[in-house]
Amino acid sequence: MSVSRDDVLRIARLAELDVDEEGLPVLAEQMSRILDYVAQLSTVPASESVKPYVPGPDAIRFRPDEVKPWPLAAGPDDLAPAFKGGFFLVPKLEQFDEPEAS
Amino acid sequence: MSDAKAVADRLGKVKRLNALLTPATELRKSLVAQAAAARATGVLYGMPVALKDNICTLEFTTTCGSKILEGYRSPFEATVVTKLKAAGALIAGKTNCDEFAMGSSTEHSAYGRVMHPLDKARVPGGSSGGSAALVAAGAVPAALGSDTGGSVRQPASFCGVVGIKPTYGRVSRYGLVAFGSSLDQIGVFGRSVHDAARVLSVISGRDPRDATCEDRDPLRLPTVPESLQGFVIGLPREYFPSDLDPAVRRACDRAVRLMKEQGAAVREVSLPHTSYAVPTYYVLAPAEASSNLARYDGVRYGPRFDGAPVDIRALYRATRGAGFGPEVRRRILVGTYVLSAGYYDAYYRRAQQTRALIVQDFRNAFDRGVDLLFTPTTPSPAFKAGEKLADPVSMYLSDIFTVTANLAGLPALSLPIGRVKGLPIGGQLIGQAFLEDELLEAAYALERVVPATEEP
Repeated sequence: MSVSRDDVLRIARLAELDVDEEGLPVLAEQMSRILDYVAQLSTVPASESVKPYVPGPDAIRFRPDEVKPWPLAAGPDDLAPAFKGGFFLVPKLEQFDEPEAS
Repeated sequence: MSDAKAVADRLGKVKRLNALLTPATELRKSLVAQAAAARATGVLYGMPVALKDNICTLEFTTTCGSKILEGYRSPFEATVVTKLKAAGALIAGKTNCDEFAMGSSTEHSAYGRVMHPLDKARVPGGSSGGSAALVAAGAVPAALGSDTGGSVRQPASFCGVVGIKPTYGRVSRYGLVAFGSSLDQIGVFGRSVHDAARVLSVISGRDPRDATCEDRDPLRLPTVPESLQGFVIGLPREYFPSDLDPAVRRACDRAVRLMKEQGAAVREVSLPHTSYAVPTYYVLAPAEASSNLARYDGVRYGPRFDGAPVDIRALYRATRGAGFGPEVRRRILVGTYVLSAGYYDAYYRRAQQTRALIVQDFRNAFDRGVDLLFTPTTPSPAFKAGEKLADPVSMYLSDIFTVTANLAGLPALSLPIGRVKGLPIGGQLIGQAFLEDELLEAAYALERVVPATEEP
């Protein structure tokens, strides 16, 4: 499995992550090595019928849906980098573009 | 009050390790206030417990060793913190760790690497290296870490302390910053099995705020057994490969001999899918991480690294690109890759199926009458800083004996079983789900007889 520079850029776009140009060759090489290593899973004599294992309780328990006092010591106005009048401030949403085709 | 100051002084003396992220003056002030308010009837009254910096506290910042959470103060505290305080413990600051708990050496922190307490040229293990180093240096009797693939047991082994990862679902994860949600568990470091067990007993038990926490009473502390009579200990042959470090092998052989002398029956077992555990883990953990870390986007909390973004996606990318370090970036990219269209079945689904086979290996061993498994915790003692940084796969392989317990959700404990050239070697006991009491009993018995600071 060889990951190209373009593969890294495509995945980085899906992951919403800027990667710098000069680091790209090393990143591609390291990702290739990791993916080569994990590719040995294809040799596991696992039948397609093996049910994936999910740990934890067999059933999800629900709590009563009750209105309770605000449980947090601070609100979003304290935590968010930009917050005004009850809203998170971000660049204009109409400029949101669709992810590039994968 | 003076005790609180003494705790602060002890922590101040090990500053050279870079194990503690909380500034000394802030910590001293908080410890004095906590001591004044601590419940005198609590079972951990006055016991200082340091916390890995991915466990949320109201008193101190929670950065996860990352620039993307620099200065972040959680608006709530983890259930384990509430339970520790209710038992009278003092929260002795936040410890340095690999960024978002991703690493095996605590070299991947945005706040600098942690030094091994016995040799500053070496790593303390990771990702909970700061917690392990503080306990090993004698600054605190116990500390909490998190263990997703060995991040408590591996540094415990490297630093020569006890580290226990309980069964998945034994301890609430409410307030633990999520990395790999099907694998993460909060674990405990202690100077001794008893110290670790006492803290584990306090933090365990049901929590309506964590749906993955089992509806069970807190763990009851077992009595210290007279011997290991009646215990059947399995030695999985896959954990003793021919290229195992000779000193690690000698220490394990000695521990096995001592367990036999204590009356344990020892037999060889096989866990045939062990060699697939690390690749399975390094598909599942990055996949879960890529999803869990999507929330760090520069909008809801943490700093925003933006400049003048033209749109919201540019804001996300700039913040995440500047805020995450190289190992976290690598894992997000690998995780995104294995979940992406066309690769999901080949990697992610295959890894989930292999995980089921690994779980079945353990069931088969326990069904054949084995109570506990004994293995080395790590393939070698603590390695040198920088030795594995350029080769991620080589770093991942230092988790080879610990990831299986996370994949199977089983409790496991590392305790010191010897030293080579002054460096500690750890032995691992793996137990059956929710039978931490058996695990601790055997650990008590082994700890009592093993010459933990002597060469095998």
